Amino acid sequence: MRLCCMLVAIFLSLPLAAGELAYDLQPRQIATDTWLVEGSTENFAADNGGEIVNVAFIVTEAGVVLIDTGISRRYGEALRAAIGRITARPIALVINTHHHPDHVFGNQAFADVPIASLAGTRELLAAQGAAFADNMYRLLGDWMRGTEVLLPTQTLEPGVREIGGHRLRLLALRGHTGADLAIFDETTGVLFASDLVFYQRALTTPQTPGLDVWLADLAELEKLPYTLLVPGHGPVATGREPFAQMRDYLGWLDGLLREAVAAGKDMNEAMNTPIPERFATISLTRYELVRSVSHLYPKYEAQVFRRVDRRE
Amino acid sequence: MTIRSMGLALGWLLLSNSAWAGDADPLQSPMWSFHQTRFLGEAPYEFDDRVVLSAPPFAEDSRQVPVTIDATALGQEVVRIVAWAELNPIPHIFTFFPTGPVAPRIALNIRVEQATPIRAAVLTRDGAWHVGSTRIDAAGGGCTAPSAVRAQEGWEEHLGEVFGARFAQGDGSRLRLRIAHPMDNGLTAGVPEFFIERAELRGGDGAVLASLELHPSVSENPTLTLQLDGRDAGQQLWLRDNNGNEFEAAF
Repeated sequence: MRLCCMLVAIFLSLPLAAGELAYDLQPRQIATDTWLVEGSTENFAADNGGEIVNVAFIVTEAGVVLIDTGISRRYGEALRAAIGRITARPIALVINTHHHPDHVFGNQAFADVPIASLAGTRELLAAQGAAFADNMYRLLGDWMRGTEVLLPTQTLEPGVREIGGHRLRLLALRGHTGADLAIFDETTGVLFASDLVFYQRALTTPQTPGLDVWLADLAELEKLPYTLLVPGHGPVATGREPFAQMRDYLGWLDGLLREAVAAGKDMNEAMNTPIPERFATISLTRYELVRSVSHLYPKYEAQVFRRVDRRE
Repeated sequence: MTIRSMGLALGWLLLSNSAWAGDADPLQSPMWSFHQTRFLGEAPYEFDDRVVLSAPPFAEDSRQVPVTIDATALGQEVVRIVAWAELNPIPHIFTFFPTGPVAPRIALNIRVEQATPIRAAVLTRDGAWHVGSTRIDAAGGGCTAPSAVRAQEGWEEHLGEVFGARFAQGDGSRLRLRIAHPMDNGLTAGVPEFFIERAELRGGDGAVLASLELHPSVSENPTLTLQLDGRDAGQQLWLRDNNGNEFEAAF
């Protein structure tokens, strides 16, 4: 009887697996020449195809500047087709803001154009890309078909770069991964903060060099005279609210880890710390707290633990 | 579904038709019956909420998954705690013998090779086992990943270093420790088993208060949390690995 149930369940799952997976990407104009493909604030899942990231592009006189390429080869191809429906201009430059899979795994669809990143981003992607790919295939399944790591071909230096009538100020920061690029379009006033700013979506910490480093980056970004902020995840904003939320959340996380270690709590206790009510609008807080404790607890323990062995 | 897991599932279907010696497994694991026989033998057992097994629902890092086992609800009746990861290549994690001021509560990090049920079986003085369970989802590979310790130049010179602290908690205290050791499990090519296999927490007079038998499902640089009645009980730690190296620490 149970065997029958199992076989029926297997057959029921077959049509799903055989269905055509397609991203429905709808770029939305958010400023002069500037378009956003806004992802959801969900986690990677087979039912969203990993369409959980913000990707943007600027249609300049010299061609399109694309900021990040999405989670998969299939996403990259859908993105290129969507850009083609907005403008006939060629892609002039693709930028990878940092090495995380949701920002760079669409690179293959742009293999014929220059793909640029910070030097550190290229190194990190070369070192960690294959492991990211393994995990994304596990989480997203067939959405990832054909996706392989394609490294950036050009290195970006911080400073102002003018492309087709847009003055782009490139800021080399570190707080999220150790090599994070933010782009401020001085011509339109749009700040592309990438994953240095998460808004209404819990921030992720697998490679942060430290929450203090991240806070320092935020202080630098917030000083920019932007009129529109595009976070890496979450809705765009004209005001300073995303920075206030980021500072509040990072401060809470830092304090939580410090206090848990000082009280002698183990990792599971820290992972189960109540989430303050004021963060109720932010998605995935518990999930990301579990991850952040995994990533950061040993560093906080090291500040409190002392050498106690007696060596001969 | 892999052929292996289908085989396991079929095995479970067959087993589940036979009569249970005790409760039915709440996780319906294909390997429960095998491990129950191996670790608990013929003794009576029950799945018991008083054994609280905490672990994250997913492994962010399959080489370092925190597991906490709290059987303090069973109090002084606890004789022994056995923990295992049901689908690991080396399932056995540890056997813990707390006595006197050492509470039946322990936390440490483990490796998982794939998504797996985790068990903690607690033996009480009446000869019965009380079992707590949870399940961890994982990308896996934690048992066969290259050692992070061995990747660091000069790691041998730090072997057996112990870092930690005692934390007051009410009338009692917690000991939290990290021991520098690769805990090699023999599953990485060319690297034989090399792991801490025994730890003892001793009083100031040398009397053993708790002993811990470790297996290499425990993560490298093992992190241990122990709970004690009293602010200064358990002043010495003694460790021995399977190569005969002994290490000591004091609090």
